[in-house]
Amino acid sequence: MSRREAPLNRVVLALSLAALACWLWLPLGSIAPNRIVLGTAYSLPEALGWPLTVASCLPLLGLAVMAWRPRRPAYYAALALTLLLLMALPLWLALMAQRHLDPALPQARVGIGAAGWLMLFWLSLLLVELRTRLALAGWQLGLGLVPVLGAWWLTAPGLASLALWQELAGRGEAFAEALLQHLLLVGGAVGTSLVLGAAIALAMRQNPGVERLGFALLNFLQTIPSLALFGLLLAPLAWLSARVDWLAALGVSGIGWAPAFLALLGYSLLPMVRNTFVALSEVDPGVLEAARGMGMGRGQVLRRVRLPLALPVVLEGVRITTVQAIGLTAVAALIGAGGLGTFIFQGLGQAAMDLVLLGALPILAMALVADALLGALARRLNRHTGRTTGATP
Amino acid sequence: MSRSAFKRWRAPLAWCALLLVLATGGEWFESLLRWSDPEARRVLYPQADLLTLLLRHLWVVAIASGLAVVLGVGAAILVTRPGGRDFLPLVAQAASMGQTFPPVAVLALAVPVLGFGTWPIIVALLLYGLLPIVRNTLAGLEGLDPGVEEAARGMGMGAAQRLWRVELPLAAPVILAGIRTSVTVNIATAALGATVGASNLGAPIIAGIINGNTAYILQGAVLIGLLALTVDSLFARLNWRG
Repeated sequence: MSRREAPLNRVVLALSLAALACWLWLPLGSIAPNRIVLGTAYSLPEALGWPLTVASCLPLLGLAVMAWRPRRPAYYAALALTLLLLMALPLWLALMAQRHLDPALPQARVGIGAAGWLMLFWLSLLLVELRTRLALAGWQLGLGLVPVLGAWWLTAPGLASLALWQELAGRGEAFAEALLQHLLLVGGAVGTSLVLGAAIALAMRQNPGVERLGFALLNFLQTIPSLALFGLLLAPLAWLSARVDWLAALGVSGIGWAPAFLALLGYSLLPMVRNTFVALSEVDPGVLEAARGMGMGRGQVLRRVRLPLALPVVLEGVRITTVQAIGLTAVAALIGAGGLGTFIFQGLGQAAMDLVLLGALPILAMALVADALLGALARRLNRHTGRTTGATP
Repeated sequence: MSRSAFKRWRAPLAWCALLLVLATGGEWFESLLRWSDPEARRVLYPQADLLTLLLRHLWVVAIASGLAVVLGVGAAILVTRPGGRDFLPLVAQAASMGQTFPPVAVLALAVPVLGFGTWPIIVALLLYGLLPIVRNTLAGLEGLDPGVEEAARGMGMGAAQRLWRVELPLAAPVILAGIRTSVTVNIATAALGATVGASNLGAPIIAGIINGNTAYILQGAVLIGLLALTVDSLFARLNWRG
């Protein structure tokens, strides 16, 4: 990318103006008398009054000003302003709750409005842009987000009436259990597919017939919709657990974790096998020649040369698989596998949207965090082995 | 139709014919399904006939993919022009973030805004399908030999003419490959829409899971699989010609 000495950064300018427009015109939040009734929406001036509204806009105007002189110090200032805006985000909601919540209604709850969500969206895009401009590493950005989380944590007592919070308070234990189930299913499926995928990839390299058959089978599996694969495993597993005692003793049955795990495994194998296979096949012949010249045997070459060189690409496979499995596990709630998807489908059934959020937001966060962490790890390993690109799906 | 043209279109035609036979031949399909689940009271999904569900499924995927192509290719073209180049890193990263969002979560988050029905699944598919298109269009346009553009400029072509007559045709195979990935993945993912009340081929699957009826699940799954194969083999022919 060519970096001209532009007189202004149009990206930062456009993003901050878009954020300003959403912030001023869309509803900041809503207050509902109970769980099911739709709340009354409050725009920012209605919720906070004009003085505070103007004060909340100042950092955004500051960002727009920074965009005019895009130098390094200005970018750092813009980053600080963006983080400040993120820190303050729940504060405005808490102030709104304090001013407009009727103390006579203990069931009343505060919902987050479009302005709040969109502000979060625009600010994330600003962070992405500023990170690119300042060439910050992932951990530096992560460090910057620590005070944001701290500020949110400090504001939390003022937001006891937040609808999301109330849904969580009502089912704290169920939430912890669902989170654990979700993580166990994802971890189990990804871990198993890593081991199994490596074994299959090695077998494929030995025998081209296995390679053709394996890829055909895995590609076919991928075209079956996840929903259907979960469903199709119900009957065979119920049949098996009715006839094989030790399987039933393990808790295998038509519904629950067993069909979910098998379906997750099936979907995880293709990206895993493909990446491992590509990684093992694409080692520079010169390197292998050198290793053999040093007197290494076949097994040694595999262990000490091929696998370390293949690691970044394999890790890329782990990243794709993990993100995919986090989403698919949510669907598995439909066949009784538990996990955070349970809240999504319960909430959809009861038309209680805050319950849906309670399931969907952690899933989204998990997917983003897993993607960022595994991506950073793969890039780090890439730098070590001197490669520039990994295999893409 | 000449002999060679028939040969070329044989695979998509065969898949499409099988798809239509299964979607319309209810009676005949029923006896096959009976075999899959002998104990079930009824084996053919009763709420709507399969052809209607198939057409609705296709419709949702077509709208979402159409929007994804317009937005994705459009955005990629804009950020590779001199005027929009500032936005390139942002668009590339936002598209890859879009694919990180699990479709179920997006679907669930779209319901409070858009209500139950077809729109949430269109939004979820649009977000999920954007990345392959944006990534491949960017790769296709950025990967062109600079000499080609130089030559086009030398022939006196303007910016719009260069884009339309040189850059896009040369990048077309890569862009088409991206659209192909996006559409095939979306055909399978669209089934999720049935969980928020969209009526498509996911509906028999959900009904089957709830009632423990394998035959319902099979008809949804088989038709979605065949639809994906039909569309994918169509794209394969397009690529081959391109």
